[in-house]
This record gives sequence, C-alpha cells and structure tokens, in this order.
Amino acid sequence: MLPGIKRLAPLEWEVPIGTVPGMRVPGRFFLSEELAKTLEEGAVQQLANVATMPGIVKNSLAMPDIHWGYGFPIGGVAAFSIGEGVISPGGVGFDINCGVRILAIPLHEKDLVKKRELIERLFNAVPTGVGAKSTLRLSHKELEGMLTRGAKWAVDQGFGMESDLVHCEEQGAMAGADPSAVSAKARQRGMPQSGTLGAGNHFLEIQAVREIFHEGAAGAYGLSPGQICIMIHCGSRGLGHQVCTEHLKVLEGATKKYGIVLPDRQLACAPITSPEGRAYFGAMASASNYAWANRQVIMHMVRKVFSGMFDIQYEEMNLVYDVAHNVAKLEEHVVDGRQMKLCVHRKGATRAFGPGCADLPGEYAPWGQPVIIPGSMGTSSYLLHGTKEAMVKTFGSTCHGSGRIMSRTKAKKALSGREVRESLAAEGIIIRAPHDGAIADEAPEVYKPSDEVVRIVDSAGISRMVARFVPLGVIKG
Amino acid sequence: MSFEELEHTADIKIRVRGATLEELFSEAARALMTIVYKNISQGNIRRHVEVDADDTSSLIREFLSEILFVSEVEDMVITGADIHIAGNHLTADLTGEPFSRMKHCGGREVKGVSYSDLAISQEQDSYILEVIFDV
Repeated sequence: MLPGIKRLAPLEWEVPIGTVPGMRVPGRFFLSEELAKTLEEGAVQQLANVATMPGIVKNSLAMPDIHWGYGFPIGGVAAFSIGEGVISPGGVGFDINCGVRILAIPLHEKDLVKKRELIERLFNAVPTGVGAKSTLRLSHKELEGMLTRGAKWAVDQGFGMESDLVHCEEQGAMAGADPSAVSAKARQRGMPQSGTLGAGNHFLEIQAVREIFHEGAAGAYGLSPGQICIMIHCGSRGLGHQVCTEHLKVLEGATKKYGIVLPDRQLACAPITSPEGRAYFGAMASASNYAWANRQVIMHMVRKVFSGMFDIQYEEMNLVYDVAHNVAKLEEHVVDGRQMKLCVHRKGATRAFGPGCADLPGEYAPWGQPVIIPGSMGTSSYLLHGTKEAMVKTFGSTCHGSGRIMSRTKAKKALSGREVRESLAAEGIIIRAPHDGAIADEAPEVYKPSDEVVRIVDSAGISRMVARFVPLGVIKG
Repeated sequence: MSFEELEHTADIKIRVRGATLEELFSEAARALMTIVYKNISQGNIRRHVEVDADDTSSLIREFLSEILFVSEVEDMVITGADIHIAGNHLTADLTGEPFSRMKHCGGREVKGVSYSDLAISQEQDSYILEVIFDV
C-alpha cells in the first residue's frame, strides 16, 4: 500500500486528515492487498482533495474500482449536508447519469443458434459510435418531456411499458429537474441523439446467466441459470456533456464568489442552496432524465429485434433494473445516529440501497436494490443487491465496474483491436464495433479483474453477489 | 503529429506546443479533432466563434469546449483555426471538412475538457499546454 495510508480492516483503508492541506474529514476506501498494487497516487490525492470541500459529511469515500480521474477519483462517493454543503459537477462528471440496465429475455443460451445474425440486427437497430444520429425526430416539446419526465416520457411515447418504470432507480425520472437551466446549446446537442449508444466505454452486450449466488434474490429479480440478458451501458450524450461544461464555468465563478478554496479547479462548486448550486442541480437532474429516457428508447429497440427474431412478446422481456453511476442525488441517511438530508455525489459509483428502502418495488424490497456491475469486454458482469452495511458505511453505495488500470496510450501500444477481437472470438465472444480502435481501448486487460472488485464489495458487505453473467456478444460504440 | 499523448489511466492527457498563444490554441483544436476523428485533413467550410473567460487557461477550456460543440452540431470536422486573442476574449475563424462516417470513424468521443491539471506554461520561445479530455 502507498505510504501514509492506514489499514482499518482487511479491506478498508484510511487516508488521514493532513494528506493534503485543508481536509475536513478523512478519506476512506475499499481495496484488497492484491489490488493495492494498482492504486495510483493521483487517485488518492483526488480522494483527499474531495475531503477539503465544505460541508462534506463523515468521509470522502472510494469504492474498489478507484482510479485516477479528474475532480473526484473514479469510484468516488461524497455526501454533503444540505445546509452547509456544496454541489459540484466534478463529483458527477461530463457524462451525467451514465448508467446501466439489464433486460431479461425469456430465452436460454442454447436457443441462440443465430448469434451472429442477432448481433448484426442489434448493431443495425441501435445507432452507435462517434457522429451517430438517432432515427427519432424530436420536437422541442418532446425534448422538454424527456428532460422533465425521463423514462416515463419514453413509455408515454410507446417505448416500453409502465412496469419498466418501477424497475429504474428514481423510477427513471429524478425530481427537481429544471429544464430552464438546460441551455439552447445543450438542447441542440440532445435533439438528434436520443436513442443513441454513444462511443468510448459504452456498450450493448448479450449475456448469459452463468452462476447464481443467491437463489431468493435472483428469483425475485426474475433470473435463472443459462438465461439470456441484455446489458445496456450509456448516458446523457452530448446534452449531458454540454450541461457539465457550461455549469462548470458558472460554478468556477461561484467558487470565488462564495470564498471557497479548492485544491483542484475541476472541483468547482457552490452551496447546494445557492442560485448557482440550484441551477446546476436542476440541469443535472434534467440531463439524468434524458439519460433514463435514452436507455429506455434503446431497450425498446432491443425488444423489437428479439420480438422479430424469436417470436417473443415485449411483455415477456422484463427490465431487471436500471442504475445511474454518475450522479448527485438528494437523499436521507442516518449519520452517527442522526437523520440527515444530504446531497450524495456518486462518480463512477452505484447506489446500493439495502432491504426495505422506499424506492424499491415490492417484490425487490425484501432483498435490497439490484446493483448492476458491468465487466469489461470478455469478462463477467455481476448482479448484486444492496445491503444495510452499505447504508451505514457508504451512504448506500458500491462500485460501478472494474476500474481501469492501463492507460489508453499503453493499451494502444500493447494490444491491437484485431488481436483483441480474434482472441475474444476464440472464446466464443463476438465483438461488433464501428472500428477496431474502439476495441483495443476497452480490452479486458486494461481493467482490474471484475471478479476481484466484486469479491471485495461482497466481502466488505457493501453489496452482495446475486448472479454472474458471461458475455456472448458485444456491441461497442 | 503536433501533440503528444501523456500517461493518464482513465482519460486522455495531451501536451501541445505553439510559438505563440494563438498558434497554441490552434494546434490544441487540431489535436482535439485528431483524437475524436483520427483522420483529419483540410476543408473549406467556415465558421466564426467567440469565447470569453476569466483567464487564459479558462479561455482554452472554453475554446476547446466550443470546438466540440460546433463540430458535433454542425457535423463539421474542424481542421484549422485562425485565432485572435485580446485579453480574455478570443475570436476564431474555423475551417473544416464535412463529417463522414467512412473517413472519420476510428477516433474516440471526447465528453469534455477538464480543469484538472490544465496548465499553460512558457519555455524559451514556445508556449506549452497540458490538458485532460474526458473520454
């Protein structure tokens, strides 16, 4: 482990106050001895930087997929009191409500005899990659609907069913959205991109349930061994990027205006209750809703493909759940025995509420919130459930993925897209992408092993394994 | 290539050089477009943009963010920028080529220009910019 870091428990570590000047609370992260070798000083510094922000409560936290990002570390979680705390786009990121959903298909993996044809059909149905445009032609009023009502807007337009909504975090629409804080430029970017996957680490994956760890929860979530599932990973596209870009500038000014001293300009922030803080929250919530609508529209395209190829009714394809992993939310948590209203930032981290929490549909409530952890191309993805321990230790949060360990420059030197594609094909995993460059960038070797990251959150108790999925085919943006 | 890619785990960090501040900004725009669209050449579409900021490093962030915006909404791969800087006000006459999926596919989508580690420095006769792009 890096010098200066204290071990609190086998998988819990503390970054003491004083690691960077001005820390108000200690940093705390979850990591195994094995993965400690991958921890970068830059990530620890960023974790410590967050601890200097006004109104931070308890700890600046990071999940085991911690790595060096900008502003907050990736895997970072921080909660701020509503009265004294701040809100920061640096704790959310440019891709607001980047998130993941899993759709359960009533097929067994042995039914997928025409896998290549299925992948081709999905690739043609969902616009992917840089410059891809949607087939939807939105009016200004419809975009307003997306920003205000999120996934509900999409369902009202015929993209899905009412029952999908209760299987989304926040029912697919965050309260407090204020479309008037979303600029004309952000809207201009958002208009042609609804229902597009995007590029980079975004993907659509065909998976099979390989292992069930928790029969009760898996049953409640509607999963069985060998079952085919579709995982969709994308966010708020150019609209969200523009919202972050513009509000970051406003909040830079606000940081000075309110006399806040920060070690990194990307942490620019304002009091949650200030006009600048409220405007960012309203715009960020609107962009989050755009992202939920986006994933809902893409899921509809997927249902259409399966319905056409396999004679399955839309109603038979059940949305298991949808989670956000780049977002700031207003939540209530018990801190040192006291109920507090907080603004919880999760940047590359997933909400993992425990059993009985109010935001869950009845059949899920006894088990806790489903948590979706995508693997990298070629490695397993996981479904977990939230826990009471997470409510105590991490403001109901867990990891969001496996976490990068290799930079893109190194990945490009080490691996060619073609090699990665061929080696995955040898394992029976078909990759479809607009170009091979996108494949090398996201090869399995550039990430921490997802199995190890998930083992850590399970052992630390901040979420528990329910099922493991293996990839059969991947569409990369 | 007029820029170098530096080590960064999650995102893309680059270093760009220019003899003048104007050249530095212009080179940074070309670097950004090369990352997004890989194969960029020259074009004859023209656009005019203006941005303001509180200081020079904010100005480059605003300018590069504007390049991302114009490029996306106009389907235009920006290949050159004639830049004038007066204090913290920048005007740029951009030239570019139309986006083509065939030609410009192969790059990486940049989601935003970060303030983290953003630095402009001077070394002998040149300006140096280091900037992180979220991808």
